[in-house]
Formats: sequence, C-alpha cells, structure tokens
Amino acid sequence: MQTFKLILLGVSLILFSTATNSCKKDIVADFQVNTEDVLDASLIKDKAKTNKQFISIVYTTLFQKAVSSDALFRTERVIESFGDKFLINEVIISNYMNAPGVELPSDSIMKADPDQFIADTYKLFFVRIPSELEVSFFREYLAANPNVTAELVYTAFASADEYQFY
Amino acid sequence: MKRREFVKKAAMAGAASTAFPYILPSGRLFARTNAELADHVVYVLFAGGVRHQEAMLKRYLADSQGVDIEGNIMYNMINGSPPDRKIVYGTTPSGDPDGSSPIPKILSTTLQNQGLLFPEVTAQNGGHFGGLTSLLTGNRSVAQGLKVRPNSPTIFEYLRRHRGFKASDIWFVGSGIGNSFPLLNSSAHPQYGTQYGANFVAPSVTFGSDGQQVLSNAKIYHPQEELEPIQRMRAFLNNTFRIKNGEVDGIRNDEDEKARIKKFIREIFQKKSTGGLARAPITDNGDLQSVSYAAEVMKYFKPRLTVVNLTNVDGCHGNYTGYLRSLHRADHAVGWLWDYIQNQIPEMAGKTILMTTPECGRNLNPNPIQDENDWYSFDHSGDFNTQRIFSMLAGPNVPSNMVVGSEANRIGRATDNVLTIAEIFGIKDAVQGAGFMDAEARSLFDRI
Repeated sequence: MQTFKLILLGVSLILFSTATNSCKKDIVADFQVNTEDVLDASLIKDKAKTNKQFISIVYTTLFQKAVSSDALFRTERVIESFGDKFLINEVIISNYMNAPGVELPSDSIMKADPDQFIADTYKLFFVRIPSELEVSFFREYLAANPNVTAELVYTAFASADEYQFY
Repeated sequence: MKRREFVKKAAMAGAASTAFPYILPSGRLFARTNAELADHVVYVLFAGGVRHQEAMLKRYLADSQGVDIEGNIMYNMINGSPPDRKIVYGTTPSGDPDGSSPIPKILSTTLQNQGLLFPEVTAQNGGHFGGLTSLLTGNRSVAQGLKVRPNSPTIFEYLRRHRGFKASDIWFVGSGIGNSFPLLNSSAHPQYGTQYGANFVAPSVTFGSDGQQVLSNAKIYHPQEELEPIQRMRAFLNNTFRIKNGEVDGIRNDEDEKARIKKFIREIFQKKSTGGLARAPITDNGDLQSVSYAAEVMKYFKPRLTVVNLTNVDGCHGNYTGYLRSLHRADHAVGWLWDYIQNQIPEMAGKTILMTTPECGRNLNPNPIQDENDWYSFDHSGDFNTQRIFSMLAGPNVPSNMVVGSEANRIGRATDNVLTIAEIFGIKDAVQGAGFMDAEARSLFDRI
C-alpha cells in the first residue's frame, strides 16, 4: 500500500510537471514604435491660401485689426487682375507698409533681443518655431546688416512662399 | 592640320550648328525650324463677337434692321466707304444727334492694303471663352470647360518653352477679370502650364479705382539698401520651404523682371495722375482704354508677343446701336495701336506683325431686344453665321494688299493663328510636333 502511494505520488508529480511545462503558452513578443514627433506638424503646409485668406491674414497681422469688406473685395480683384500673384502681393504689402496704422515692432526691440524677435516673427507669420538653422541665419544676418529694419524683415516674411500656405 | 582635314571638320561643325538643337536658358532643347519673320507680334482678339455682315460685308443696317443703308464703319482696317445716312456710330458733339460724328480715320492706308486679309475664316467655337481659347491654343477646344485654364497649351507657353522667351517678353492685356479671362494666360497642361505662362494684366482693375487704392501708394524701396536685404531674406525663407510649380496658381517673374514690372506699375500711376498716358484720340469706352495701357506695356517692355483682348462689341446682345459704336471704336483702337507702334516705339516700328481676329461671329437672326432706335440685337448662339470671322495680318514679310478667300471659297480657321505666330517666331514645326493643335490648322502663310 505504501509503495502504491509512492508510485501514485510520483505519477502525479510527473503529470503535473508535464502539464505545467509542455502546455505553457508561448510569450509572443509584440514590439511597437513609440509615438514621437520627429517632424513638426506645423511644417507640413500643403494648402495654398486663397486670395481672400491671404489678404485677411496679412492685413490682420500688420494692422492688428480685421480688413474691411470693401478693402477685401478691392484687393481680391486687384490680385485677380494680375498674372504674377507673388509680384502683386509684394506690391500690396509694400502699400500696406506705407499706410497709416501699420503696427511693426521697433528696431530697438529687434536689436535688443534678436533671438526673441526672430522667434516671434516666425510664430507670427509662419505659426511655428524656427529651427536652429533659421535662428542662426537671421541672428548673423541682422548682426552683419545693422541697417536692416523690422519693416524689411516683416516684408520678407509676408512675401515668402511659406506665408502663401497653411 | 591638313587642308582636307580642316575642310572636313569645318563642314561638320557647320552642319552640326545648323542641325543640332539650341540650348535654351531654361535648359531645354529645341531646333528652330524656320527663320523669324518679325521680332514682335501684336495679336488683337477682336472684339467680343463680330457679326460678319457689319464687318467684312460692310452692310451697316442693310442685313440687320431692314433699312437699306450700307457702308464700312471699320475704315482703318478694311477698304470701303462709310455709310452716308443714319450715322449713329460716332461721337456726339454738343447739340448734335447721338453718335452723329464719325471718328476720323487714323491710318492713311488701311491695314487691308498694308497686309493680308482672310475675309472668310471659320471660327471653332460660338462662345467667348471657347472662341478665345481656340485663338490662343490652336486647338478646337471642344471639351474645354468654363472657369478653368485651357486644356491645351497656349501660344504663350509654346513661345516660352520652345523659343525660350522670358515671362516679361510675353504680355496678355485683358479687358477685365470677368469671363475667366485671367485664366487664359496659360493652360493647365502638365507638360506646359503656368511656369511658361504670360504676364497678364487687366488694366481696368489694376490701374482703375481698385488698383488706385490698393497699389498706388506702394513704397519705393532703395534697390541696394532695402530691396536687396528683402530679397536676400526672402530667398533664404523660400529655400527652406520649396514649392513646386503649379502649387500656387499664376506665373512667376524672376527678381529682375519683378523689379522692372514694379517700376512700370509705379510709372503708370504717375502718368495717370499727370495725364501722361498714351491715349487714342477717342477713349470713351473700355476697349480704347485697354489699348492705351497695351501701348504703355509695349513701350516699356517691348514684348515679343503682346495679346490684347477687346470685348465691348459684345454689347450687341442688348443694344445694336451700342454695338455699331463699339465696332467703330474697336477699328479706331486697332488703327491707333498700329500707328502708335510705328511712330512712338522705334524698337518695334517696322519689326512688328499685327494680327487681328474675332473669337466668334454673331447670329444671322436677331433676338427680340430693341434699342433706342428700335433696332434689334444679336446674340451668338452657334448658327452658321456665328462661325463667320476674318483674320488680318500686316507687317514685315507679310504680303501687302492681298485678299485670300471669299464667301464662296472660305479659307482659314481660327486655330490657324497659333501656328502663324509660331511660324513668325521660327518654331512652327516644334508647335505642330507637340501634337495638341487642331489637325486641320495651318499657318496662314501656308494658306496663301
């Protein structure tokens, strides 16, 4: 009897051991990629602004108030009346720069903290933070060209290709 | 080098320079297929649907209102005496009946006598946009939609791509921004498109009250101290955000061309304020104002191709008397423009070929609308009469005093004009070989 119990215990142990080892599920390794922003989504601008959008945005940016419907209508017609949109937009911007009420940062503010001015200008016009390369270019360019005013910088940004897209 | 070897190499070099393609500034290759016939072409799209009876047939009121008075009211362009009664197409001196004073003739020799006339040409489309498209693409444009750029390449794109002209060498002066006219300065064709388009300007808007408010107060930046930094910074910004051709609708001039055009815009506003614009003797309608600005464009840029679109004749939909006045003024506009080129633009005088063709004709039968003289109006809805137009050329290498075709022997198609201009600039075979032309189109020089 004692022997039978020992045999039964041994068989039970063997069966248990087999069951726990041989029926164990394989661990499936499930690797995934963490979501990390490697490209600033604000850089992906693939929609061209309509003439109306461009006028409204540039006017609001430069005058800190909405463009009147009459001025919007007239300006839109003028853009349509000329084949080279980039060129006519530059003339419109320079007309704005000559108009009363245009609000530009002072040159002293620009020169006091060029890095901040550059970052603010990129955010204002391109709605994004500049890359280190971009900051570096403008920092060096402004330092090397002390006669460059905030107005000229604003004119370059307002007439740049990126400003035509959102 | 032995003499025989020298002769052989010289002959090979000569043959190669003739047969091998030219390398254009754009980097493209092409073989100029014929010698140029002129340095400049002025192409007048005339002038909003012209009924053949009042133009080439000189029937005045006889074939439209049942009044037996004939006469030629286009006496700068074609030969023939004006009507002797019921004069309504002229100007109105104080106290005289409306339109009773015909505009004096400008050209001492009609364009017909100076050049080549095809009096019975076939229009390819009875509508304005389709008709203009066929005049500018050389394609019948039967599948052309409205409010979109032409499907087939325009003569502007052919000349810029195959002849290497710059954007500022090619100008399209439109009468306005309605009827999709601004879309006609280039096609939407993937092999051509806006990168080869023409500079378009609608002076009535650009230099009218809208432009006055929006453009005339533009700053004049110092070229070195201000403009150059703007361009430098903008070039950097554009290099970090590259866009493809066609992503923004419209053509692009290079920085030098842009500077010239901005200067031109400024000068026009200055001339306008001082009354110094080039002007025809009579400027009482939109077409005559358009040709004034076209003359300014030509004087300033000396374009290789200038296209001028006149449209006022289309008032015939609702006012026959007004139509006669507009037709008379369109003739005045063309006569004045030709005279201005010959006498005020020395760089273009004697080196320019003028071409004129209506985009479509008008119906044989009137609609029910009557004007102040109880005369009926005419639409252009596609009957046979709508297809009756004419083509006219004058200038160097154009036969003078020659008429080709007649009512019984119709010669010429609206689509011929693109090949004709291509031949004038030496790229006829390249344009024909591109494969987008009306299969039956021929250069008008080949129809003589």
